[in-house]
Amino acid sequence: MKTRFAALVIIFSAVVAVSLFLGPTPINPFLPDETSREILTSIRAPRIAVAVLMGMALGASGAVLQGILRNPLADPYILGISSGASLTAAIGIIGGVTVLGTFTIPAFAFAGAIITGGIVGIMGWKRGGLWPERLLLAGVGLSFLFSALLMLIMSISRDEGIRRAMLWIFGDLSMSDWERVPYGAVLVFGGIALSLWRAKALNALILGDEFAHSLGFAPQTERVLLFVSVGLMTAASVSLGGMIGFIGLLMPHIARFFTGSDNRLLVPASALGGGALLCVADLIARTALPPMELPAGIITAIIGAPYFLYLLRRKDVLSI
Amino acid sequence: MLSRYRTKGRHSREGGNPEKNWIPGQARNDTHDMRHLVMGIAWLLLFTFYFSLSTVSAAADPPKRIISLAPNMTEVLFALGLGDRIVGVTSFCDYPPEAKKKPRIGGMSNPSLEAVVRLKPDIVVMTTDGNPKEFEERLKSMGIRTFVSTARRLSDLPEGVRDLGAALGVKKKADEFADNFEKALVKARARQSHSGAHRKKVLFIVWPDPLIVAGPDTVIDDALTLIGAENIASDAKTEYPKYSVEEVLRRSPDLIIIGRGMDSGDVKKVSAGLLRRLGSLPAVKQNRVFFVGDGLFRLGPRTLKGIAEISPLMDGQ
Repeated sequence: MKTRFAALVIIFSAVVAVSLFLGPTPINPFLPDETSREILTSIRAPRIAVAVLMGMALGASGAVLQGILRNPLADPYILGISSGASLTAAIGIIGGVTVLGTFTIPAFAFAGAIITGGIVGIMGWKRGGLWPERLLLAGVGLSFLFSALLMLIMSISRDEGIRRAMLWIFGDLSMSDWERVPYGAVLVFGGIALSLWRAKALNALILGDEFAHSLGFAPQTERVLLFVSVGLMTAASVSLGGMIGFIGLLMPHIARFFTGSDNRLLVPASALGGGALLCVADLIARTALPPMELPAGIITAIIGAPYFLYLLRRKDVLSI
Repeated sequence: MLSRYRTKGRHSREGGNPEKNWIPGQARNDTHDMRHLVMGIAWLLLFTFYFSLSTVSAAADPPKRIISLAPNMTEVLFALGLGDRIVGVTSFCDYPPEAKKKPRIGGMSNPSLEAVVRLKPDIVVMTTDGNPKEFEERLKSMGIRTFVSTARRLSDLPEGVRDLGAALGVKKKADEFADNFEKALVKARARQSHSGAHRKKVLFIVWPDPLIVAGPDTVIDDALTLIGAENIASDAKTEYPKYSVEEVLRRSPDLIIIGRGMDSGDVKKVSAGLLRRLGSLPAVKQNRVFFVGDGLFRLGPRTLKGIAEISPLMDGQ
């Protein structure tokens, strides 16, 4: 298990390093000219940082969420958090709001995500606690409502905002800036730390509330803590660069094939795997058809899904 | 600080003999103030010098490497004779044919920052009509000069081109272009007032399936108004609305104009279905459906051609 984890860390670092120097035009790390240095420090590096943060947030929050909802089909977007974020972001983009400069849209998205997370939490709250099924259904319901509102806004609004909003909804890393990295890092690493701290409780929760209780964990308190960590990570990720599919749903499963279901390993493994995958996807997105940039969210699924299906066929695992 | 200095000066004048008011410590203060003042002036001089230097160098040295992030601006740049200074264009920049040979930097709404930086532009020409604002801010933060065209309507273009010309050091040529453009607009209007008759109701179709038409606040709407036609979709809520076929039947335009883009030769085929559904309209029955080029799709030098193309269509009964 330890060697596998070490291998994952090495792969992750290699991916980050490689994607820093590969691109539409590869950069020689030992002899960069002035333009290359500028491209490296103010375009590629922040972009990779954002991709890694988003991928980590999605991978880790997917793993945690599948645990607290006890559902292998749960992903951070199923709670409607991303639809809420897209809705507020689109309102910001189409309404042409620029109060906070380049920070406006991420701030809008973050607010939307947190508000939605809060509503889902309230909906899922009954008899002094959060209930997995209620959370799931509340999330799905809100998600439909917000998607519909989003489509409504897009179909009655003017042309140019829509194009920008569409890019954003499909996940767009091309405008990534150092400006967004610090707050993203705080939220994502904060969320991961919180879920790692409660990883043992999460293991117990998967086995059922009674079981968790008998092991000395307060199921409802743990669930709230873990739900908050998922909310923070998802909100951060959506506000960093829009919606990226696949990672939140399937990266935890891919990680599970390697580390098993122990969340103390699964959460960091999903995070590293998610970060590496999005990093590669973004590398392909900006390199495949230069100078055109493809949405990274499409590439994650194109390279991730076949690998997942292959693992599913090869590995003898029956449940999460 | 300055006021304190002045007071002190007045004091010493009133006191007559400055020696008498001499107090240890105050002299040091005096020289201290003096030094600050001198420093301040030196700083100011340095700044003035720096700025005069930079403006001089800018005036003497117009941008040599230009990137255009909008097809219409590319056409304007070529029209101003700047073709050989353009070092990058978007993948939509297909006119004039030389533009297709320029290095591509991506689309309009998603240009590649890396590609732009790599081409080391002296200036990047952008438009508010399609380029994201964030992109401009990113370029600025990296110290790359931008010119952002805000011209979106027919009457905005001449002024926009004059500004562009001033920024790129081709003022004379730009003024000439703008003057000619304005004259052509006046001429088109004059022609309309002579032809008299009633205002023709027109539907300008941008794409037939789904039906997208030219709405208000567009160059096409401006052009129709200019030549004395009435755009039946000018009360729509958006610039290029997806339009109701029912409403077209109800409003019954006198003529239908269908624009075809550069590479969409099949627009006639695509329109067949729509025209069948509109078959009961007099305009369709009497064959008053016209296909025109893409001149009006871009606010640039070819816009005039686009106007010239639709203007005679208004003359028939």
